Amino acid sequence: MIEVEALTKRYGSTTAVDGLAFTAPEGTVTGFLGPNGAGKSTTMRMVVGLERPTSGTATVDGRRYADLPAPLHAVGTMLDARSVHPGRTAFRHLLAQARTHGIPRSRVDEVIAMTGLESVAGRRAGTFSLGMGQRLGIAGALLGDPGTLILDEPVNGLDPDGVLWVRGLVRDLAAEGRTVFLSSHLMHELALCADRVVIIGQGRLLADATVPEIVAASEGGSLEDAYLQLTSGAVQYRGRSAHDAADRSAAGGAR
Amino acid sequence: MSTPTTVPPHAGLPVPRPAGARAVGRDVHRGPTFPRVLAAEWTKLTSLRSTYAVAAATVLVTGALAYVAANASSVDPGFDPLDSLGAGLVLSQVGPLVLGVLAGTGEFSTGTARTTFTAVPRRLPVLAAQAVVTGVFALLVAVLAAGAAVLGVLPAAGSRGIAVDLSDGGTPQVLAGSVAFLVGTALLGLALGALLRRPVPTTVAAVVLVLVLPVVLLLATDLAVDPLSASAAGEVPASQAVVNTVTTFLPAGAGSLLMAAPGSGGIEGAPDLEPWGGGLVLAAWVLVPLAGAALRLRTGDVG
Repeated sequence: MIEVEALTKRYGSTTAVDGLAFTAPEGTVTGFLGPNGAGKSTTMRMVVGLERPTSGTATVDGRRYADLPAPLHAVGTMLDARSVHPGRTAFRHLLAQARTHGIPRSRVDEVIAMTGLESVAGRRAGTFSLGMGQRLGIAGALLGDPGTLILDEPVNGLDPDGVLWVRGLVRDLAAEGRTVFLSSHLMHELALCADRVVIIGQGRLLADATVPEIVAASEGGSLEDAYLQLTSGAVQYRGRSAHDAADRSAAGGAR
Repeated sequence: MSTPTTVPPHAGLPVPRPAGARAVGRDVHRGPTFPRVLAAEWTKLTSLRSTYAVAAATVLVTGALAYVAANASSVDPGFDPLDSLGAGLVLSQVGPLVLGVLAGTGEFSTGTARTTFTAVPRRLPVLAAQAVVTGVFALLVAVLAAGAAVLGVLPAAGSRGIAVDLSDGGTPQVLAGSVAFLVGTALLGLALGALLRRPVPTTVAAVVLVLVLPVVLLLATDLAVDPLSASAAGEVPASQAVVNTVTTFLPAGAGSLLMAAPGSGGIEGAPDLEPWGGGLVLAAWVLVPLAGAALRLRTGDVG
């Protein structure tokens, strides 16, 4: 379970995440939505301890990420497909990750098989397409058989086969009682695989409810309509009305 | 205390799952211990072609320069092939320096830091492990380079009929000193890389500090000092003494003292640090940026 409370991150005078609070419960796929620059990736990086919150807390299973005794067994993380040295083979990349936790080589082979990377595991990651990079990232997230998964845009760049596979994978993981927290811009995809959604804009919480609740509260009757209505006042990069310009200066190009 | 069954389950713990079905006591040891982080960093260092390319270049350059230097001076009446052992050192230190810089910046320049520091969120063990594996790898490279230098002087020695005795006089210290110098240089590169994080600025800073600055200072004194007055007086002008002192305290100057015979007096006008003093100065050049890198790692954001 991921719990975020009053989480705030400022870079100088820019506020990327502003008093955010939500919970991603066990046994559930929680979708994480928001316009570009809303603070989704920053929030995820704070949850896994890569960035220090300016204030507030983010915990997994009741602990700060850095205090987890075996992080890879508690949380599987895929933040960016480009989190690999381009000169290292996929197998060596995963092996190095596994060695930090004493995870056996056989498990590395297992996740390579699970993600369909057998034929390219000996190739250097710099030669990978975006989709293969995503599969490698997901393989790394699965290494420790974790109870919580945090996936940033996991279907980005995947072929239709891969999208279907990720959908089935996250549903299965949640059905096993695990926490799945994933961001996506693909509304139809999220409507198919998420139980709950957390929507943020300009670093603030806009909605945190189940998919049917959010859809029922909107006018259009789809998750996409609900999303567009909720974020209409929080989009930084859409048009160029005076309203948007004011918003942009308020958010200051936050990540 | 030894009965984990009396501990009530934490409200926030996930529901039972296959991987969680182990004893609490074993659970503690499933995480990143220092030997595991060491193994991971060794895997990372040895899985890059650049590591081997730099190692091979270092060994080849050191051997080739010793060969050339020995051949060039073999016609001298008082030729001692062992004098040429350190001839390649000025250039061969570039290899370990680059090796260290690549190890130190590689995490941050490629995004690997996201993977590394989510696996080891306490962060500092990663830096410590990188220092150890870089030091060990540089030690292997430096020993091979010293061996290549010895092989390099053999033809010239053979042509003059001189037997090369490595246990002779100061030779063991020259060999050991050059190895220590190269290891220290690699660690300096690592420390600067981990501190600055970006490969190009780090490489420039490291090369200026280690290679360019000593040469610039040497040229500056040559320009500033009137050669006639210096040779006539027999004592070192104040400006040259200052520059020589600065040079002695730079990484390359301090490192080269490791190979100097004890009591040799160092370079003129500069305090005589002796080999161990030079070693300490070089160690400080490693430890200060390393401490800065640790502080940045500890307090800042990564990836």
